[in-house]
Amino acid sequence: MSLVGEERAKNKRGIWGWLNPYHYNLERWAYTFQRVTGVAVLLYLLGHLGDTSFFVGGPTGTGPSSSSWSFIGSIFENSFGHLILVLVVLVLTFHGVNGIRLILSEFGLIMKKPSGIEYPYRPKSLGSVQKSLVWVAIAAAVVAALWTYLVLFEGMG
Amino acid sequence: MSEFKLAVQRFDPLTDAKPRLAEYTVPMREGMTVLDALLYARDYLDHSIALRFSCRQASCGSCGMKINGRPRLACYTQVEELGGEKVVAQPLDNFAIVKDLVTDLESFFTKHKQLMPYVLRSDAQELDHPTAEYLMKPEELKKVLQFTYCIKCGLCTSACPTVAMDVKFPGPQAMAQAYRYLMDERDEGGEKRLEALDTAHGVWRCHFAGSCSFVCPKGVDPALGIQLLRRHVLSGKAPRKQGEGAKVWSAPAGSTK
Ligand code: SF4
Repeated sequence: MSLVGEERAKNKRGIWGWLNPYHYNLERWAYTFQRVTGVAVLLYLLGHLGDTSFFVGGPTGTGPSSSSWSFIGSIFENSFGHLILVLVVLVLTFHGVNGIRLILSEFGLIMKKPSGIEYPYRPKSLGSVQKSLVWVAIAAAVVAALWTYLVLFEGMG
Repeated sequence: MSEFKLAVQRFDPLTDAKPRLAEYTVPMREGMTVLDALLYARDYLDHSIALRFSCRQASCGSCGMKINGRPRLACYTQVEELGGEKVVAQPLDNFAIVKDLVTDLESFFTKHKQLMPYVLRSDAQELDHPTAEYLMKPEELKKVLQFTYCIKCGLCTSACPTVAMDVKFPGPQAMAQAYRYLMDERDEGGEKRLEALDTAHGVWRCHFAGSCSFVCPKGVDPALGIQLLRRHVLSGKAPRKQGEGAKVWSAPAGSTK
């Protein structure tokens, strides 16, 4: 028997169910950002490997002062390039600090012990220590990005 | 008398190509749950709405569905707590739809069984011909008590982002039960349990989004169980070996029973 709505009846959420944190908890939002920033960091790293390879004498480069190196540098020597760098710092800092929260959580280091439960139920795993670390990650990312902005745009530092 | 709008996802895979939302107007009464509202709609407005429920008191886990975007028990969600928004009832994500709000939980129970949700012992003789009970110490019971409250409603597994992508992932419910039995002082199957979890689709696929614990209506906190499980899997050390499980209770000398 073939069903008219066979595909829809499977009800698999797929990539959207994976990435959409709407209606859920703070940790779920952090999860989505961790995944997205993870891909962003990977792409940045590949690009970064590419441009630093000029530095060690890639196809045409001969050293730090080579024209290709300055050419790569010049791509980022404008407001748009600086904005990208601010974003890179934002993303990297969040991913790093949140990653530390995840390591601590996932190995149970900042988890409370199971016990009897009382109503209203408050999941211990979503407790205050790890939740405040999500905010620390957000704050660290904002501060680092702000500082980068001041250095690049206001000439501080 | 005040009223509110109830939207129900209607979908019969036999005849419909895709789901649609049908809207009903339901009279409000104090303390009304979403299940009450759905039953009102079914009894007085449209007899063809398919839904599953049983106990009406968050004990059976039958009426799990997505209400206003989040998995909840219909009997355990008051219309009022949804903040006056329209109430939207949809079937649980990541489970096949049988009809309307009824989902097929077969895969969910299969995964539960795969992780051996029972005490494993090596004393077969005692199991076949019991002489007394295996008793747990109260402090040992505390270590697993919250996980025993699971009613297998499927909300956590429906909320899990990994389940949405990986059909082989056991899901939060099954893994929380794996932890519950691993830590049970009567259990001697620890090594087998850790082996079953240490796979490419096992415990390492959890990345602690915590949505399972967020939606669990019974305070089971599956995410806690999974995070605590991970260290055991990593070290490969089961809490007990064969023959080290709690012994059967024997009456103290001099007592009559
Ligand atoms: S752990 Fe909670 S949400 Fe998951 S099946 Fe059990 S009772 Fe339902």
